[in-house]
Amino acid sequence: MNQITAILEGIGSTIQLLFRAASYTPSLWRQRARFIDQCYQIGYTTLPIVAILSFFIGSVLALQAGYSMSNFGAKQFIGSLVGLSMARELGPVMAAILLAGRVGSAIAAELASMKVYQEVDALVTMNIPPAKILVLPRLAAVLVMMPVLAIIADLVGWFGGAIISKYTQSIAIEPEAYFSVLRRFMVFKDVLNGLIKAEVFGFAIVLVCCNIGLNTRGGPREIGASVTKAVVVSLILILVLDYFVTKALM
Amino acid sequence: MNNAQQTARVGLFFLLGLALTWVTFETLSDGKVFKDRGYILIAGFESLKELKQGDEVRMAGVKIGSVEQTRLAGSRRAEAVLRIDPKVEIRSDATASIVMAGLIGTNYIGIDLGTPTAAALKDGSEIRTKVTPDINAIMSELGNLGQKLEGALNSITGAVNGDGKTPGLFQKIDKVVSDNSEKLTVTMTNLQDVTAKLNKGEGTLGRLINDPKLHDELVATVTEIKTAATDARTFVTNAQAIIDQVKSGKGALGALVFDEKTGTDIKNTVANLRAVSDKISRGEGTFGKLLNDDTIYRDAQTLMKKANTAIDGLGDSGPITALGVVANSLF
Amino acid sequence: MACSPTRNPFSHTESPAVGVSIEHLSKKFGSMQVLKDISFSVDPGEIFVLMGPSGSGKSVLLKHIVGLEQPTAGRVLVDGRDASLEDTREHVHMALVFQAGALFNSLSVYDNLALYPREHQVADEAGIREKVMRALQILSLENAAQKSPSELSGGMKKRVAIARALVMEPQLMLYDEPTSELDPVMSATISEIIATLKDEYHVTTIVVSHDRELALGIADRVGILMGGELVSLGTPAELKTPKDPRVAEFLYPKIDLKNPRFKKLET
Ligand SMILES: Nc1ncnc2c1ncn2[C@@H]1O[C@H](COP(=O)(O)OP(=O)(O)OP(=O)(O)O)[C@@H](O)[C@H]1O
Ligand SMILES: [Mg+2]
Repeated sequence: MNQITAILEGIGSTIQLLFRAASYTPSLWRQRARFIDQCYQIGYTTLPIVAILSFFIGSVLALQAGYSMSNFGAKQFIGSLVGLSMARELGPVMAAILLAGRVGSAIAAELASMKVYQEVDALVTMNIPPAKILVLPRLAAVLVMMPVLAIIADLVGWFGGAIISKYTQSIAIEPEAYFSVLRRFMVFKDVLNGLIKAEVFGFAIVLVCCNIGLNTRGGPREIGASVTKAVVVSLILILVLDYFVTKALM
Repeated sequence: MNNAQQTARVGLFFLLGLALTWVTFETLSDGKVFKDRGYILIAGFESLKELKQGDEVRMAGVKIGSVEQTRLAGSRRAEAVLRIDPKVEIRSDATASIVMAGLIGTNYIGIDLGTPTAAALKDGSEIRTKVTPDINAIMSELGNLGQKLEGALNSITGAVNGDGKTPGLFQKIDKVVSDNSEKLTVTMTNLQDVTAKLNKGEGTLGRLINDPKLHDELVATVTEIKTAATDARTFVTNAQAIIDQVKSGKGALGALVFDEKTGTDIKNTVANLRAVSDKISRGEGTFGKLLNDDTIYRDAQTLMKKANTAIDGLGDSGPITALGVVANSLF
Repeated sequence: MACSPTRNPFSHTESPAVGVSIEHLSKKFGSMQVLKDISFSVDPGEIFVLMGPSGSGKSVLLKHIVGLEQPTAGRVLVDGRDASLEDTREHVHMALVFQAGALFNSLSVYDNLALYPREHQVADEAGIREKVMRALQILSLENAAQKSPSELSGGMKKRVAIARALVMEPQLMLYDEPTSELDPVMSATISEIIATLKDEYHVTTIVVSHDRELALGIADRVGILMGGELVSLGTPAELKTPKDPRVAEFLYPKIDLKNPRFKKLET
């Protein structure tokens, strides 16, 4: 019973935080320095790990597809398989998981420690709402950066698949053939689909991590607990949202 | 790191993202955003098959536009909305068809040139279409054709190879040749002997050809010639029997060459020939008569003709070299 | 405060000083009663010093006044508005010097001070710079301007926290033990600042302090909190001869080496 109340409370406070942050949107221009800083943290510094991971995801997809599809002589379709799975599913999901692990945890840790060391209280007494200067720039930054991360994840994954398809002897498909099949069976809507997904994931992750951080009570031990909670909730959220967003976009 | 640098990096990063999205968009949708200019034509088909949005429109193989939309029009018609490059004019009698460029589903709309004098189609008008067989139709046609071919081939094979109980043509020939290879060799050797002797002037016939003195001897012995003529006639009859057998087919040539009886007949003939020549050598003036008596000549000519026909007949039955060689050396 | 001759330009209230009134305030954390039915009021422009043993609930009381804690019972009114409503902070400008400083660890000392005027667009960047440097100067922190809070000593942190509150130019100023970690000269400086603000700008001030000198020197009234109850309320003169033996013991504890207190507990 208590847990159910806690979950409902979490959902409620998250939505409340969202509306609060959204109500300060006009102040965003004056906060552009903070916004840029968050863009840097969320986008730029996350890029290398996203690129590395999606390269290997693309490669593994190509390998596995080559292995299973050559059984029925369809391995020339690897390009479309890798292309579609990367764009519609794995690109956004992998980018979101990395965002949760790398950015979500950092946000939760920073805001939790601000809360525990009364910095948030200081902001409140200064009549500077935390939702305005701590949450809004992060939400805006993730909205701008997430599609960039996702499209890079998509493309790097595609190229990973192409390279593996060329140099794996059991597959041996030239990049031209790979990309021509990819092009043939994909429309931009597939990619757009993925970008929208990434956007939803990223936004939800940042919002939830902010909320968990700001609702930390107690001492340093609770900071750690908040970080763990933030990452776990983010991962669950990604998968749950994935289902609903996929359905909604079909 | 200072602020300006950070801002620059974020800006660059964002632009990179925009550029990549743009490139992806261009590649996957054949870039419709800025090329949205151009006029519209409607092409109605019974079925659009595998045609999809973004596919090319080509005229005489040159890309002139793309499929902007595919939609159902009424219950018995599907329409493709084509966006055509404004620089290209399409004649009102040009026809559009769905063309397949690859086996795995690349299609485009092909439009022919039409007649240059016809009016150009205007924006929003409908273009004439014709149905082209799709891959499935072609495949089923091919299937039918294959079945027919197979039937034909089967009957041929039956004839050639036999149907399991009765042997086929090639089997028969093969059997003849292999069963009698020994006899064949013997016969060849005999024949070689005969011809060699003829060449050297040995034996009667050789001498007959090479020695003009015998002329008188031949003329002189008429009786003996008569006997010889009878003997020669026997030879001819025998040869004729052989030829008849060859002509009657059914591995007859094997029988002709290797049948024990026929072989003996040939040997007898050769023996008779020798007897004749012996007699010629013993008699005088005999050959003149032989030459003047054109019955023998005529008989021999008939024989040669018949043999030729036989060889021709053999030739008709196919390029069976082994048999050809045998027949050639025989005659 | 000497920094600026004008009130906060963004102030919605014309009255520069605000009064605080606490009515039957009680606070429970779980089952623990921290504040028990406290009632008193602080007049506009008054310096009120709150004293009391450690753990008696002084900090919790201050948090109620700025609206960081919600009362279990009773209410706190600041300038006639309920302190627990967010709205109140829009209308009344308050500053709280936290006991632990509560500096923004991710910002430099300068940016800590400049955050409030920047966010509320009190002045342009040059004007803000002037204000900030002035506040730092008063508290002898000029050299620490570009340092990060983690590079400061305890006393310096406390001074930065005070400087940050000064820059805010509030109508109601709350200090939570401002002099606890400072040397005597700096303590005297803080006392002088508090008195000056009151004299020149009519700022209402509530100070939580264990510093008897400060209390008796600048306070208009002194309240003593013990175990969550207000046990004494009066002028510094009245406190020189306390009637309540608990108050007398608290203010003028005798150090009796022959009969130490911790041994009394054992018996
Ligand atoms: N958030 C909280 N949750 C639970 N208990 C609390 C909380 N804040 C304070 N308390 C309790 O309330 C009591 C009063 O604490 P407070 O901080 O007001 O003491 P104080 O009078 O300021 O003491 P000091 O002079 O040492 O600062 C303490 O017993 C403390 O344990
Ligand atoms: Mg305290």
